[in-house]
Amino acid sequence: MSPPAEPAPLSGRQPKAVRNALAVLEEVVAAGPGVTAKEISAALKLPPATTYRLLNLLVGEEYLVRLPDLRGFALGRRAGRLTVPVASGPPAAARAVVERLRQRVRWGVHLASYQSGRVELADADPDHPPSDGALLARYPHASALGKLLLAEQADWRAVVRELRPFTTATITEAGRLETELADVARTGLARQCGELYPGRGCLAVAIRDVVNGTLVAGLAVSGPTERVAEPNPELLALLREHAEQLAPLLA
Amino acid sequence: MSRASGYGGGVAVRHESPMSGLDRRNLGPLQVFAQSISGAAPSAAMAAAPAVAAATAGGAVLWSFVAATVLALLIGVCVAQFTRRMAAAGSLYSLTAKGLGPVAAFAAGWALLIGYGLLAMAALVGAGTYVHDVLRRLGLSPGWGAVAGTVVVLGALATVLTVRGVRLSAKVVLVTEAVSISALLVVFGLLLARVAPELGFTPLTTDEGLGGVAGGVLPALGAFVGFEAAASFGVEARRPFQSVPRAVQWTAALCGVLYLIAAYTQVAGLSQLPGGLAGQPEPMSALAELEGLPWLPYVLDAGIAASFFACTMATSSALVRVLLSMGREGIVPRRLGTTHPRYRTPHVAILLVLPAVTLLPVVLLAAGVSTRELFVALLNIAVFGYLIAYLLVCAAAPVFLHRIGELTRGAVTASVVVAPVLLAVLVLFTATNADGPYPLAFTLLLAAGVAWYAWVRARRPRQLAGIGIYDETSASDLLGGRP
Repeated sequence: MSPPAEPAPLSGRQPKAVRNALAVLEEVVAAGPGVTAKEISAALKLPPATTYRLLNLLVGEEYLVRLPDLRGFALGRRAGRLTVPVASGPPAAARAVVERLRQRVRWGVHLASYQSGRVELADADPDHPPSDGALLARYPHASALGKLLLAEQADWRAVVRELRPFTTATITEAGRLETELADVARTGLARQCGELYPGRGCLAVAIRDVVNGTLVAGLAVSGPTERVAEPNPELLALLREHAEQLAPLLA
Repeated sequence: MSRASGYGGGVAVRHESPMSGLDRRNLGPLQVFAQSISGAAPSAAMAAAPAVAAATAGGAVLWSFVAATVLALLIGVCVAQFTRRMAAAGSLYSLTAKGLGPVAAFAAGWALLIGYGLLAMAALVGAGTYVHDVLRRLGLSPGWGAVAGTVVVLGALATVLTVRGVRLSAKVVLVTEAVSISALLVVFGLLLARVAPELGFTPLTTDEGLGGVAGGVLPALGAFVGFEAAASFGVEARRPFQSVPRAVQWTAALCGVLYLIAAYTQVAGLSQLPGGLAGQPEPMSALAELEGLPWLPYVLDAGIAASFFACTMATSSALVRVLLSMGREGIVPRRLGTTHPRYRTPHVAILLVLPAVTLLPVVLLAAGVSTRELFVALLNIAVFGYLIAYLLVCAAAPVFLHRIGELTRGAVTASVVVAPVLLAVLVLFTATNADGPYPLAFTLLLAAGVAWYAWVRARRPRQLAGIGIYDETSASDLLGGRP
């Protein structure tokens, strides 16, 4: 019923508090998981009460988490948003697999990486340019590659900034998106029919780390909406086959 | 709930939270706030508490409420030491465990079960009483059947709503409480506009002295109980470390302001009558009559009945979450620790507890206990349970902070100030209730608690040591998701 609370606007009049909060974050990174409030306070020469307040604030904002002993701290998932995605292209072997798929289908074929915690186009089809990369990264709810990423999250609300409508087909209700993401998680296939641009759609399958099964990338094909909506068993088989070939190359 | 291998300084991180199954991280700050407000049920207390406090405090009643507000805020500070650091569903029971260990936590848990259970019953009976009063004012003459009927209907409604999902029940609680407080503010605003200009600040001056203030603190503090209800929604709150402590603190502050307005209005408005506020059995009706506003009691009764219903919802929701935590720990049968696969609520605990909470008052009413006696007795015993739990959690706060190496002077001060006062209030409370059914009830409840503890200690020592379950950080909360 109530929208997620917007963080109070920072007046910019507390430069010291901001500096200290960043120093605390940095110290947790430097000292590694399990560092205690006392240790941080001693290392930064900050008054204990200030350190505890900042730590509680950062835990409240989910940049940090308390470990189960309640003494130690570690980086929370949200801290991943602070890192700027490093643009490192996929290895040549992986590009070759993607290229092979491009030759076999008449669709646009795109490879996206999730290493940075968001959708990042690693190998976009030059003949069928995909949607704007920044748009894909910002609004994962409106793309097939984004839905793959969201379906993997423990709490997708933590990643989605807003359910912005782009077309009449865009999913803007949390409940509907939740159901759809449950489907994506079950089938390993995400679909998007004209939800970002009218008339264009996408199918995407997950590429998982061969050792621990975490989601590392997504392989997508794009085309006209009516073709995307069809069952396409042959195309899916082809897509899955190539995704499997990519898995050991991208881990 | 498998344990993962070591992480960082040898601390193991689970793959899944021990509180999984609940609708995790899904309640907005306003909905969490509504739980605490409804737990305290300020509307009902605004109408009744000033007169009760005035009976012992006399003219010092306003200062008694000021003192009680400060106490409630300090209790809130102590509770916040925990809720800023851990997200629990077991309310003060789970929090106490992290400071004072399993024995004290067990005591707090038993006191809390009594407090929540009896307050939920009292609130149902209260709602029934006010619906009964509305019917009587309309010229009908309903007997205890009207009260019992209301109790059954509202109890059934609360059961369905709490099972059907925490978001739904939180919305109902929020809307009901908002309507109720608005109605009460209209009533008090109207009265205040009439009485304030004549009296100004005179109700603040008192010749009763400190003794009068102290005498009124107990009933005034009684008006706050239930304000910690948000502490059992830690798992379900979206940003628990912010919204839960804030909900508890703001409830203490808001209730304090509302009670001061209510007390001032009643003291000022009734000062012309013989005996003043303390002499009135129904102060609000007397005040409405005095000011020539005959429709006022209807708005008031409906508003208070709504508030009582919200209170039932909030306290029974808190109650079942304590039982859920106990079930997961193995302190009560593990069945109570299960959650509904679709609604994500502790449905087994709800379906066991809420019918009991509904039917026990009905049985007592049918056996001929008067509604007023029943309400007062339930409320008094509930307050006793709450006060014990508050005392234990306040004593636990500095120990907890010391244990995790984050003790501060402020936290110690809050605890050192509030714990002795709470202890004194408890002693005073026991002394003032030395007659009637209370000594027997307290003895029976104490004996039951001790017997239960002895059984758990003998049969389930391992589970006893494991008390204090909460929604701890699991692998998926960590950056990189690495175990």
